[in-house]
Amino acid sequence: MMERVTYLYPEIALFITTCIVMIVGLSRELKHRKLCAPISGLGLLAAGVLATGLVPGFHVATGAEVDPTAGQILLPNLVPYAKVLVAGVGILLLLLQAGTVDRVEEARIASGRAAFNPLRSNRAEYYAFFLFSLTGLMLCASADDLIWLFLALELTSLPTYIMVTMSTSRHSSQEAGVKYFFLGALGAAVFLYGFTLLYGATGSTNLNQIHHAIAAGGLSGLSLAGMLLALLGVCFKIAAVPMHFYTADVYQGAASSVSAFLAFVPKTAGFIAILLLASCAGWTHGAGDSLPDALRTVLWVIAALTMTVGNVLAIWQNSVKRILAYSSIAHSGYMLVGVVAGPGGGTFATSGIAAVLFYLLCYGVMNIGTFGVLACLEGRAGADGEPAEIESLDDLRGLCQRHPVLGWTMVICTLSLLGLPPLLGFFGKVPLFTSAISAGEIPLVVVLGLNSAIAAFYYLRIVGSCLLEKPETTTGIVRVTPFGSRPAGALASAAGVIVLAIFGNGFMAASEKAAAYDGGHVEKKEPRAAGVPETAPQALGPAKAEGH
Amino acid sequence: MAGLVEMVSVCFGGVALAQTGYPAEMHRLTLDHYMVVSAVMFAIGLIGFLTRRNLIIMFLCTELMFQASGIALVALGRYHLDFTGQTFVIFVLTVAAAEAAMALALVVLLFRRRESLDAEEWSELNG
Repeated sequence: MMERVTYLYPEIALFITTCIVMIVGLSRELKHRKLCAPISGLGLLAAGVLATGLVPGFHVATGAEVDPTAGQILLPNLVPYAKVLVAGVGILLLLLQAGTVDRVEEARIASGRAAFNPLRSNRAEYYAFFLFSLTGLMLCASADDLIWLFLALELTSLPTYIMVTMSTSRHSSQEAGVKYFFLGALGAAVFLYGFTLLYGATGSTNLNQIHHAIAAGGLSGLSLAGMLLALLGVCFKIAAVPMHFYTADVYQGAASSVSAFLAFVPKTAGFIAILLLASCAGWTHGAGDSLPDALRTVLWVIAALTMTVGNVLAIWQNSVKRILAYSSIAHSGYMLVGVVAGPGGGTFATSGIAAVLFYLLCYGVMNIGTFGVLACLEGRAGADGEPAEIESLDDLRGLCQRHPVLGWTMVICTLSLLGLPPLLGFFGKVPLFTSAISAGEIPLVVVLGLNSAIAAFYYLRIVGSCLLEKPETTTGIVRVTPFGSRPAGALASAAGVIVLAIFGNGFMAASEKAAAYDGGHVEKKEPRAAGVPETAPQALGPAKAEGH
Repeated sequence: MAGLVEMVSVCFGGVALAQTGYPAEMHRLTLDHYMVVSAVMFAIGLIGFLTRRNLIIMFLCTELMFQASGIALVALGRYHLDFTGQTFVIFVLTVAAAEAAMALALVVLLFRRRESLDAEEWSELNG
C-alpha cells in the first residue's frame, strides 16, 4: 500500500501546490496574488523531479504471478515518462497563462477605481484548475483500473471546461465553453458506458485482469462493444473524427493561452487512455502482436479519416486559430497511425507506442510555440477594456519584420508542425512512418504521406504571411502583450523545436523505454538523429530549463 | 427462485447467482432485463441529446446516459457477485453531481447574457 503512495508523489505534490495557490490567489496584497504563477511553476518542477525518481518497474512481477493491486502493469514504464513529459510541457504552458484572467479587474484595482473583491477575482481558481487538470493527466498515466481511468479523464477535462469559459469575457468564450462542456459530457457518457460493458464482459475493472480475461477468452461481442464505445468516447478527448466537431469553435472562442492548453492536455490524456485500452485488448508487449481485427479496422478508419478531414478543412480557414485547431485534429490522426501500428518489434523504429509517446512531446512543444505567438499579440481593447484576440491571417502579415523574434518563432514552429526535415516535427513523424511500415500498414502510410503533403498548403500560408508579405499600413493595431512570460514561453518552445531535434536522442530512448514492457529494452538501436547521444533520458532538457 | 437461477444460467453461460430470495413476482428478472433497460436509457439519452436544442434538456439527456451506466453497473456487480460495480456507481454519481453543478452554472451564465436557453441562439463561432 505504501508503495502505491510513493508512486503518486508527483500528483500529491501538484495537489498540495493547488491548495496553496487557491489560498494565495485570494490575498488582498497584489504581490501575494502575483505569486500564484511562480508557486504553480515550482509545484510542476517538484512533480517533474519526483517523477524522475519513480522506479518504473518495481511492480513488475516475476513469472506469471502478478499482483493486480500493485500498480499499473500493462505499460509499467509509461508512468515516469508521461509524468516528466506532463510536468515539462506544463511549465511551458504555465508561461503562456500570465494575464489570461482578471486583467481588467487588476487594472481597475491598480488605478484605485475598485477595491479588491475576492468574489470577483478569478486568478486563484484559474491556476487551481490549471493544476487540477495536469494532476488528472498524470493520474491517467498511472491508471490501472477502469474506475481510476474514468476519474482521471474526468479530472483532466472538467477544469478545462471552466478554463475555456472564463478565459475571456467575450460571448464567444462562453459559447465555446458551453459547446465544449456539452460535447465533453456526451463523450464522457459514451466511454463510461463502454467501461461498463467491459466490466460486464470480463468481470473486473482492473486493466490487467481485463487483459488476461480477453487474452484467455478472446474478444467477445460484449467486450468488443465496450471497447468500441470506450474508444469512441475517448476520441472526443483527442479530437478524432466522429467527435471532432467542437474543436475549431472551441479553440477559436477560447483565449490563445487556453487553446494551447486544450491542444496538449486532453489530447495526451486521450492517447494514454487509448494506449491502455488497446493494451487491454490484445497487445502482448514486444512480441509484435497487433490488435484484434475488428478493433484494428476501426482504428485504421478513424486514423485515416481524422488526418484527411483535419487537413482538408484546414485549407478553407482564414482564422489562424481555426487552422491550428484543424491541424490539431490532423495531428491526432497521425498519432493514431502509431496506435494502429502497435508495439511492433519494440525498438524505437518499429514500435508505434514509442512513436506516439515521442510525438506527444514534439506536438506539445511545437504547438505551444504557435499558440504562444498568438497569445503574445493582441488587438485594440474592446468596450470592456479587454484587448481583442489575434485571429486572422492578415494580423500576422509581415510579423517577421515588425517583431522579428515572434515572427521567427511562428515560422520555425509552423514549419516543424509541417514536418520539415531538420526540425523536431520531422524527427517525430519519421518513427510513425517506420513503425507503420514495419507493421505492414502500407495503405495507411500512403494516406499519412498524402496528408503531410496537403498540410504543407496551409502551413506554408501561415509562414508566407509572416515571412514574405509586407506589414499592413495600419500597423499599430496589433501590439505585443505586456506580459513578459508569454514571449518567453513561445521562445522556449521555438528553442525546444531546434534543440530537441539535435539532442532528441535521449528522449527517443526514453520513449522507447516507456513503451517497453519489461523494464527497458536490451537491444541496441542505431542513433537516429545527429548529435550527442548521451542526454539523460529524464532530464527536462535545455528548452525547458530556459523557460524559468 | 430456481427459475431465476435457471434463467441467468441460460443467458450467461451457466454462472449461478449465489444469493437468492427475491420476492416471488420479481423472480423472473434477469441480468438481461437490466441491461435492456440501461441500453434503452442510453439510447434515449443519445437521441435526445442529438435532437433537442434546449440546453437544460440536453444536459438531462447526458445525465440519462450516465445513469444508464449506473443501472448496468449495479446489475453487473450483482451478476459477477463483487462490489466493484457498486463502487463504480458511487464514483459515477459523484462525477455526475460535479457535472450537474457545472452545467447549471454555465446555463445560468448563458441565460443572463441572452435570456434564452436555445442552443441555436449561440452560433457566433462558425467557419
